[in-house]
Amino acid sequence: MDAKVVEFTTLLRRNGVRVSLSETMDAFRALDLVGLGDRETVRAALRATAVKRAVDVPTFDRLFDLFFSGLTDAIRDATAATQSALELDDENFEQFLADLERALEEQGLELSELARALLRVDPGRLERLLREAARQARVDQIEHGFQEGRFSHAMAERLGLGELGAELDRLRRDLSGAAPDVARRLDEYLSRRLRDLQDLIKSAVRQELDRQDVQRQDRQGLQNLAEKSFFYLTEEEVRRMEEAVTKLAQRLRNVVAIRRRRAKRGRFDSSATLRHNLQYGGVPFRIVFDHKRRDKPQVMVLCDVSDSVRNVSRFMLQFVYALQDLYSKVRSFIFVADIGEVTQLFAEYDASQALEEALHGNLINVYAHSDFGRAFRGFHRDHLAAVNKRTTVIILGDARNNYNLPHEWVLKDVQQRAKQVIWLNPENRMTWGFGDSEMDRYAPYCTVVEECRNLAQLYRVIDRLVTV
Amino acid sequence: MFESIDDVITRLEGQNYIAGRGIGAVVYLASKLEKPILVEGPAGVGKTELAKVVAAALGRELIRLQCYEGLDEAKALYEWEYAKQLLYTQILRDKIGEVVGEAPSLRDAVQRIAHEDDVFFSDQFLLPRPLLRAITSPAPCVLLIDEIDKSDAEFEAFLLEILSDFQVSVPELGTLQARHRPIVVLTSNNAREMSDALKRRCLHLYVDFPDKAHELEIVRLKVPGASERLAGEVVSVIQRIRKLDLKKVPSISETIDWARALTLLNVESLEDELVQDTLSVVLKYEGDIRKAQHELKEHLELQRAKLKRASADKDVLH
Repeated sequence: MDAKVVEFTTLLRRNGVRVSLSETMDAFRALDLVGLGDRETVRAALRATAVKRAVDVPTFDRLFDLFFSGLTDAIRDATAATQSALELDDENFEQFLADLERALEEQGLELSELARALLRVDPGRLERLLREAARQARVDQIEHGFQEGRFSHAMAERLGLGELGAELDRLRRDLSGAAPDVARRLDEYLSRRLRDLQDLIKSAVRQELDRQDVQRQDRQGLQNLAEKSFFYLTEEEVRRMEEAVTKLAQRLRNVVAIRRRRAKRGRFDSSATLRHNLQYGGVPFRIVFDHKRRDKPQVMVLCDVSDSVRNVSRFMLQFVYALQDLYSKVRSFIFVADIGEVTQLFAEYDASQALEEALHGNLINVYAHSDFGRAFRGFHRDHLAAVNKRTTVIILGDARNNYNLPHEWVLKDVQQRAKQVIWLNPENRMTWGFGDSEMDRYAPYCTVVEECRNLAQLYRVIDRLVTV
Repeated sequence: MFESIDDVITRLEGQNYIAGRGIGAVVYLASKLEKPILVEGPAGVGKTELAKVVAAALGRELIRLQCYEGLDEAKALYEWEYAKQLLYTQILRDKIGEVVGEAPSLRDAVQRIAHEDDVFFSDQFLLPRPLLRAITSPAPCVLLIDEIDKSDAEFEAFLLEILSDFQVSVPELGTLQARHRPIVVLTSNNAREMSDALKRRCLHLYVDFPDKAHELEIVRLKVPGASERLAGEVVSVIQRIRKLDLKKVPSISETIDWARALTLLNVESLEDELVQDTLSVVLKYEGDIRKAQHELKEHLELQRAKLKRASADKDVLH
């Protein structure tokens, strides 16, 4: 069992659930305490010790089912199916099994271990036998669906399915002396059980295949998610990425909170100290510092959401959303050819809904061809007045302008008014300025121009922003 | 102490708290492994209640620490009463004079005072706050740290020492070790993600809204006066309301309040006109109430249709 738990925690880890060594040890101790008798208790014990985030609970449940129990369930289902096929209720079925037992004894017949487990309905022993056969047949080396037949065959051989068939045939002959309806029922029972066993072997192999699949997917790995370019993400990775971005934002928020508190502490305040320590007879036990007044940073984010950067802008917007949570004065805009403000949207809805609204709503036409110049002119016309000496303007976009007029004079105006202008480009730096990229024209009017192609770079950039 | 998981469940039930197997297992493990429990889940599913009933079931004292932004050591652990200490030295000036009086030199006087050091630094002047009380408590107790997600990240880090070793260092006195390890319950509404370090030290329990059967059991237990039919209808409507997109989802305590209110008003079934007016017990926003009224109407129509079909069947039989 120990090995099994370790294997399971490894599987959890590969699926993005963080399980530390000390948590694995807790899991062992917990299982020692509660025992292995009841499946739900084992599940509760493992979940309490190894899974610490609510979002990981569904993953855990899925893997737990896959890993620990499938076979038990399959055996139970098969038995229930047989029982209902014989048209017997629980009580009659018990009775039937007892009758069978008695008949065997009267005839003085000895059964093999497998036949005993199968016919007397002993799920524990049957499962053990199946697992043993699977181990001997090296079923865990299965790699593809088309190997299922081969491994099933090997497993059946190890289990002794052929011998079992012969044994059951013999049994049928020996017990044929019974009354006709009993004999008929017995006959059906034996053939059904044999078929059940064949099905169980198949499902054991299939489960192993599923499990290997899960492990393989994970082995191929999302470890370098942070380093992977936004452009090449699969759907699964997009989902994970969203989690990662949220976590990043969380981390950022904590960092900012600490920095703010530290920065707040100012110089020694003598008069406040005197006042505060009057209660101690004027002896300065408590030292009071004055608080520095901080400029509230104002941030304006312009995010390109055109088709060419669709994947990227999703994360960018998510980050913008987090930023807006962080600072009180963030105004967010999205643009393709027209520009629209999404500040209100982000404030009202939760993250996923806000993104959905922004990317598919009626705010701007997201299917137009990118036109940075036109969007900038729109910004200049409607929102330039809001830019002042404390404003940081962040532009997220690839600067691919479809050979439209770039209107870089807008950026120049903005830069003169703002504290700084930062451009984050999701394209490789090597490609800037080639084709319809206008990056070289815009760059002179930006305080900072950064390549921002993956999560690691995004974090670096944002971290620096926060420090500023 | 709890004997087994089943023991936990029965003893909690004795305190009018219905715990599933999952909760039972975690509470049992926490008491055996001496680890804190971190309870997460939406508001109003009985997270705080769990700590209270565990304390009651074990006959222990419950010490509660409510977290909020800006909570610091001085309010959570202990405070040193300078004022009291100062006052004492003022009052006892003569006595101090006596002790020091005949000292031939300044060095000697300091020596003598140093000799009496522990009078000045004793727990006389220590004002214990919840955490210190839980650690120094002579009898075993249950410590509830409520809404830990409201506290700052620094406070969370500070808790780590206490949660893993059950000891604190007080500079004036030295390190204090817990006489009995308390059962610690932390609750969180997930306003922010807790740090991994904290989670590693805890057993994790996620409590969600109960399913229909479970909630019905709770209502029956807490509102024994409610008729079977009313309890059933209340629970199924609440379960439906929870699926709506609401600003604030009704909690278990609100289900109970509603059932209690309707029972007091002698309402037998949700058909009653009064029901519309009592919705404000369950929902606290105007918009939510409007949505729920709509839902309630649909529920009633469904019920009526069912009844009609049932009676129609009966007619056919006649």
